[in-house]
Amino acid sequence: MTRLRPLDLAAVGTLLTALATGLVVPPDAVQGDLQRIMYVHVPSAWLAYLSFGITLVASLTYLARRSMRWDRMAAASVEIGLVFTGLALATGMIWGKPVWGVWWTWDARLVLTAVMFFTYLGYLALRRGIDDPARRAGRSAVYGAIAVIQIPIVHFSVVWWRSLHQPPTVLRPDEPQMDAPLLFALLMAVFAFTVVYAALMRRRMDLEVLEQVRATEIEQPVAGAAVAPPRLGGVADV
Amino acid sequence: MNIRRQTAILLRRELRSELRAGEVSLVAIPFGAIAMLLVPMAVGTDTPLLVRIGPGIFWSVVLLFGVVVTQRQTADVGGPQLDLLRLLGVDPAARFAATALAGAALLLAFELVVGLVTVVLYDPALDDPIWLAAILPAAAFGLAVVGTLAGNIAAGVGTRVTLAPLLVAPLAIPILLGAAQATEGLRLGESILAWLLLLVITDLVLAAAGVLTARPLEEAAP
Repeated sequence: MTRLRPLDLAAVGTLLTALATGLVVPPDAVQGDLQRIMYVHVPSAWLAYLSFGITLVASLTYLARRSMRWDRMAAASVEIGLVFTGLALATGMIWGKPVWGVWWTWDARLVLTAVMFFTYLGYLALRRGIDDPARRAGRSAVYGAIAVIQIPIVHFSVVWWRSLHQPPTVLRPDEPQMDAPLLFALLMAVFAFTVVYAALMRRRMDLEVLEQVRATEIEQPVAGAAVAPPRLGGVADV
Repeated sequence: MNIRRQTAILLRRELRSELRAGEVSLVAIPFGAIAMLLVPMAVGTDTPLLVRIGPGIFWSVVLLFGVVVTQRQTADVGGPQLDLLRLLGVDPAARFAATALAGAALLLAFELVVGLVTVVLYDPALDDPIWLAAILPAAAFGLAVVGTLAGNIAAGVGTRVTLAPLLVAPLAIPILLGAAQATEGLRLGESILAWLLLLVITDLVLAAAGVLTARPLEEAAP
């Protein structure tokens, strides 16, 4: 059985605390309880940015140092980032149906977030297509470094285009436009999700090491390997 | 031999290969023209609607068929050819630049022919079409650079044919946006400078990324 690490326990603890905080704080004056989806949606979107940002750093570091550790970090971060991008899209749609009246609308932020999802899906498809670890790492690093161009486009899309999606509420030049209790719950959720990300990264990178060790292990004899197939006398092998 | 001379020689080789194979002129361009003919069958033959969406359809076709142009067989240098270029000491950046420039020239030809088809079939009313002289080459260059980059990343991968479009399409979004919005601006008689700027900046960033990553990609080549 896998042993729980302090980081795993911290992730579970902060997540439960954030969940409790999100449920305890008063509902939004306009949207009511529906607004509580934001305590999952916003941290998921933040983690998508963080994950792909870390992929950029790890990819560039790999290209500079050629250490497989950085390749593992880049790949693990993309996998986790994709999960959180998907979660941000899903929670956005769940929120959008009662508020906007539709699951999906042709809004710049929505479309570009979906495009970002497919960009990094391409990263994983690329990795799957290359067997040699060094070649896979080199090419993935180049793609991981270039793909990050999506992040500023997604983030500033609500500023550049007239968007149905609301503009930044917290990360803005002036003060955040939220009441203190709601802002606290949101920041708590962001912190909890970040700890969860760190725990998942640790686990995924360990798993990557195990996968690479298994891939390079010398083939062990299996049961029945010593049994030779019967041969007909005088018939040459084909 | 300096990098500029290497690029010029390789560019000529790329264009000669295309001239012999006719992959773009005989396959991609007619295919793009057919796509422009097919769209009204799917969305209906409402003339005012087609006049309005014509430029958008044109750019979607350019993006999707641009992938076919940049991933053409003649642009795929592998195996013995690549080994020979390495032995001759050809700079990977020169190889990248030549492939991208050849792709841009072919894409521009594609845009011009399919653009004419669009004018004939959809009759888009553009306020100041002279600006197309800047928009079309900028979009062609950007798409060619993204396509070449994706082709280099996916070179030698078993799933290259299907993987490259998946890598190109999302990365080409800023180019599609810049080109389509600039054309829409021409239709509405608005200023298009901001969208042209987006196109040019994207082109420059991608070209710099392509040149800078040419060597690491060469090292990771099969």
